[in-house]
Amino acid sequence: MRRRARDRIGYRVRAAATVAVMLAAVTGASPGQARTLVYCSEGNPESLDPGLVTTTTAMSAAWQMFNSLVEFAPGTTDLRPALAESWQVSDGGRTYDFTLRAGVRFHANAGFTPSRPLNADDVLFSFLRQWKPDHPYHRVGGDFAYFRDLGLAGLIEGIERLDERRVRFRLKEPDATFLPNLAQAFGSILSAEYAEQLARRGVPEELARAPVGTGPFRFVDYRPDVAVRYRSFPEYWRRAAAAEAETVEALVFSITPNTAVRLTKLKAGECHVMAFPGTADLDAVRTDPDLALVSGEELNIAYLALNTARPPMTDPRVRRAINLAIDRRAIVEAVYGPAGTVAHNPLPPSSWAFHRDLPEPPFDREAAARLLAEAGLAEGFETDLWFLPVSRPYNPNGRRVADMIRVDLSRIGVRARLVTRDWTAYRAALYGGEPTMMLYGWTSDNGDPDNFMNVLLGCRAAEPGGANLARWCDPGYDAAVQAARRTDDREVRTRLYRDAQVRFREAAPWVPLAHTLVHMAIRRTVNGFRTDPLGRTLFEGVTLTE
Amino acid sequence: MRVGRKIALVGGVPILVAAAIAAAGWFLLTQGERARAGALLAARVYHDLTLARLVRDDFVAARADARAAFETRFFDLTDRAGRGLATLQNQARTRGQAERAAAARQSLDRYVERMRDFSAVARENDGLIAEMSRRASRLTDLAEQARERQQTSNVDLAWTLTGKVNRLRATRDAVTGLNAVLAAAWQLALARERGAPPGTERSERTRLVHAGRDLAAALRATSRETEAAEAERLTALDSAASDRLTEWGERLLKIVTSEQRTLDDEVAQLLTYAGEANATEQATQNIGITTLKLGQRTAEALARRDAEAVSAMLGEGERLSASASALPISPLIQSEMIEAIDGWRARLATTVDGLKRQNAMIAEMDGLAAGLSEAARALNDDAVEDADRFGTFLGQLLLAGAAVGLLLGALVALAVARSILVPLRQLQGDMIALAADPKAEGLSGTQRTDELGDIARATNFFVTEIGRRERALRRAKDQADNALQDLHQAQDDLIRAEKLASLGQLVAGVAHEINTPLGIALTTATLVRDETRAFQGLVTAGTLSRSRLTHFVDRVGEGSQLLCANLTRAADLVHGFKQVAVDRASDERRRFDLDVWLGELLASLQPMLRKGGHRIERDDPSGIVVDTYPGVLAQVVTNLVANAVVHGFAGAERPGTITVRVSHAGSLVRLEVSDDGGGIAPEHLGRIFDPFFTTARSHGSTGLGMHIVHNLVTAKLQGRIAVESEPGRGTLVRLEFPRAPGEVERTGTARRPAGAQAP
Repeated sequence: MRRRARDRIGYRVRAAATVAVMLAAVTGASPGQARTLVYCSEGNPESLDPGLVTTTTAMSAAWQMFNSLVEFAPGTTDLRPALAESWQVSDGGRTYDFTLRAGVRFHANAGFTPSRPLNADDVLFSFLRQWKPDHPYHRVGGDFAYFRDLGLAGLIEGIERLDERRVRFRLKEPDATFLPNLAQAFGSILSAEYAEQLARRGVPEELARAPVGTGPFRFVDYRPDVAVRYRSFPEYWRRAAAAEAETVEALVFSITPNTAVRLTKLKAGECHVMAFPGTADLDAVRTDPDLALVSGEELNIAYLALNTARPPMTDPRVRRAINLAIDRRAIVEAVYGPAGTVAHNPLPPSSWAFHRDLPEPPFDREAAARLLAEAGLAEGFETDLWFLPVSRPYNPNGRRVADMIRVDLSRIGVRARLVTRDWTAYRAALYGGEPTMMLYGWTSDNGDPDNFMNVLLGCRAAEPGGANLARWCDPGYDAAVQAARRTDDREVRTRLYRDAQVRFREAAPWVPLAHTLVHMAIRRTVNGFRTDPLGRTLFEGVTLTE
Repeated sequence: MRVGRKIALVGGVPILVAAAIAAAGWFLLTQGERARAGALLAARVYHDLTLARLVRDDFVAARADARAAFETRFFDLTDRAGRGLATLQNQARTRGQAERAAAARQSLDRYVERMRDFSAVARENDGLIAEMSRRASRLTDLAEQARERQQTSNVDLAWTLTGKVNRLRATRDAVTGLNAVLAAAWQLALARERGAPPGTERSERTRLVHAGRDLAAALRATSRETEAAEAERLTALDSAASDRLTEWGERLLKIVTSEQRTLDDEVAQLLTYAGEANATEQATQNIGITTLKLGQRTAEALARRDAEAVSAMLGEGERLSASASALPISPLIQSEMIEAIDGWRARLATTVDGLKRQNAMIAEMDGLAAGLSEAARALNDDAVEDADRFGTFLGQLLLAGAAVGLLLGALVALAVARSILVPLRQLQGDMIALAADPKAEGLSGTQRTDELGDIARATNFFVTEIGRRERALRRAKDQADNALQDLHQAQDDLIRAEKLASLGQLVAGVAHEINTPLGIALTTATLVRDETRAFQGLVTAGTLSRSRLTHFVDRVGEGSQLLCANLTRAADLVHGFKQVAVDRASDERRRFDLDVWLGELLASLQPMLRKGGHRIERDDPSGIVVDTYPGVLAQVVTNLVANAVVHGFAGAERPGTITVRVSHAGSLVRLEVSDDGGGIAPEHLGRIFDPFFTTARSHGSTGLGMHIVHNLVTAKLQGRIAVESEPGRGTLVRLEFPRAPGEVERTGTARRPAGAQAP
């Protein structure tokens, strides 16, 4: 150790070595003192299986362990090669041939040691289990909502293994969103060998409980409400040849739903990165010399979905009345503060398909009352309003938003009963179509307009269990959105999406509330951390100065 | 059986018995000694093993750092026991013992092996326990750290909570203020609508303004400057603005109320969290305490080697690990804590495993040690028993052996004595009978194979042989007598031959001596005849002259003179030789002058000398007259001179000189003949008178000359003869003989074997 300290010059290294010496003296060089980065995350991941995750929380938990064939460069929505080092598109955009990177290692765990590097079988396994209902792993762990909601089951004609390192995807029709979709969490590549081993051992559910991927961190353990623990994966394919002294060796997602507690922990140094500081605390973070605020625009939307399958929301007039009755400016002002902007449309204003010509939806209580009267609900009605139990990047305080909406609605005679569940049950209820009005939000998975317009409002997603929480299926809208998907002509698509936005405004299945800047509070010892427009919290390459 | 053997038997049986007893005794003593040594060794092995077991117990109970000494001691002891067992095995008297010792050695090897394993496991476990204790202590530290962090965090939380509560209070004040403003505005509006008296309206207005100010203050307390200003502005406005005020107020009320609720929730959550945090702090502390207790109890259980109790600790460790990982404590510490606990547990599991193995080893070692001790004790017992048995056996053996030996010896002696004495008496009788009558039958008992038989046979043989020898002697005596006669005959013949030979010499000498004067006389006579013839011719021819006549007379005169002289000489010679020859031949005794006689003799020997140019010198005349045998004496001197010439001067380069001396030697006459020749080799000197001894047989020497000389001197002359010679210095032969020998013929001396010197 001493020699090492002499050999190198950097003060930091020497300091680190000294610390290591001290720790080694205390612990007898046990592996416990690995350089640990703690991320105070906002909630429990609903799953660790990237095929099953639907929230950015869980996706972020999964992204540490997995890679997809193609990926979005961190902080952008630009695609770049990942596990597929190259690909060729042919047959008019209907055939994708991916060539896999050579020598990519999977993680090992207590029960599994990979015998081979990544190959085409792993890719086939990762997609076939989501696609084929008769696949042994199709029913394991839950519902592959993303794969289904993106319509991939209907889009894909075949997935074929060309050879050890080449896989072909054949589509029934061209799809501009295909590649960006593959870059989403559900496109993560799992180890077929591991799955086979688990099946042999009769514990297929372990695939989600003790995930094995190719990512920069390998899974250690997950204790709900406490933490998800990872260890740096030394054989990670993208790892720099020479490990830096400050490389994070252990990563912990310390699950801390309470924003105030998160901040407290961050200040105390119990965590190094904190998710979504409260609006009221941003100034406090900015002024703290130990802390820094990392902000970035996120492609997201917070909305109040109106379940068009449940009366009285079946009536577009009622939905429009609700839209008119809610003072969104007050909400954004009070709850989001400077980080939020009032939403006009499902798309964030930074999306190329955003319809700038549509005016901001007005706040007009009288018009709302009139519309209700037209709909025969002059006396108002009673309904349920579900609010988010956790802070989300698109909605830092669901309860408060709900409170304000309730007050607004009460002014037009709509008595909203506030309902919530714990996060997992909440989402389950929403996807199950249980609530009438519900607060939710969306962070784009791939930056494509389709990821809002189709995934959240398309007819396929309106089926039970789908992400179209409003259960709204407008043929005209859906036709436009699907048409936009089948072409990669930006102009055509823009036109189609504009048309769809007009239709959305007419039908008002949602009350679009806000788009946000996302804030992450970090300790100044953290380097290389950035926010991501797709809501991913990525720790690959993040270093920690002790 | 032969007597020797019998005697050997008589002597040997007791000796053998004694020797056998001694050997057996020695053997038994040695064995007993060995057995006793073995017993001692076995006892020592037993002691060593017992001690080793105690040392092992000490080792087991010792602290990690104190083990090495016990271990060394243990291995020393077992090593010594092993050597003892090896010795016991090598010295084992019976196969059973050897096998027992070998089995014990194997057990010991296994025992030592187990101990090594045990020691290895102990070291391993010590390492693990040390590591565990480090981990436990680390864990305690970590728990303390976690608790401290938690405490710090709780303090932070308290501050946060205080802040939130303050904010909540301010927000609640704002809500109250807003409600008051809205109520006042409403009252004012109502008063206006009702057309209340101006006083009332004014007082309502004032109330509104005051409420507005209160609200503004409350809003400022929540950092809502804009809203505060708006509140003051709106409440200060005239009644026309009341709708706006209401609208504004309600909007703000919605916001502030929702904030209040949020704060309520937050505070509630924080309170809950604070409660949890306190519980966490408590639980963290508990982990530390539990760890301490667990470490303590584990150490105790380990010290007791109670594998079950230690296994129970594993369960507690698992619970501890579960509670540590379930606690929402600092993740920075939590991972480390969990790893510390898990590491502790893993090591504990290994330690338990090691402990179990150790316990099994202890049990096995105890078994082995018991077996070993038993084996050592059995070996000891065996050896002691052996030693005792040998002792007893020795005593018995000595007693029985002595008795048997004595009895056997006595019996054998009796039998042997009897078997010897009986035939001896028989032999004695036979011999006496035989002595009385040599012609009687031979001895009985010749058929026996023993020494008595030998004696009988030997006596028989002896008697026979004596008879045979007697006959042979008689025959030999007859033969010897005949041979003696033959010898005498031969001697006489030889002497005669010798005499003839010397006579021949004499004749040759005479002829030679005479030849010269006769030759001269012949030549002179021839000359005279020739002169005469010549003279006759002259005379006839008448040419005789006076001178011629004169010359002729002179010549004849001369010739006559010469003839006379030479013929006289020849006549003298013949006379002398005649005497010599007579002497020789006659062998008669006469009285003669020794000098004259010697002169004549030597003259007759001149031809022999002249060949080699040798000389004879003579002393002055002695005037001795002797009365003896001149022929014998002549032969003696002739032989001596001949020997000098033939042997003394043989091969000499220069002519030799023979000196003859005659002198008186008391009553005897001494005649010495000496030469200056080569002498006689000492080895030959002793044999010089032996008959037929010669060194010149190749030159025709017979080897009888000196023998005859000796015989003649001693027999005829009754003198004695001695030879002195040294090689290269010549030889002196000395004769001493009486002037007149007696008449007695001493035949005895002649028959005596020839010696070097006659007496």
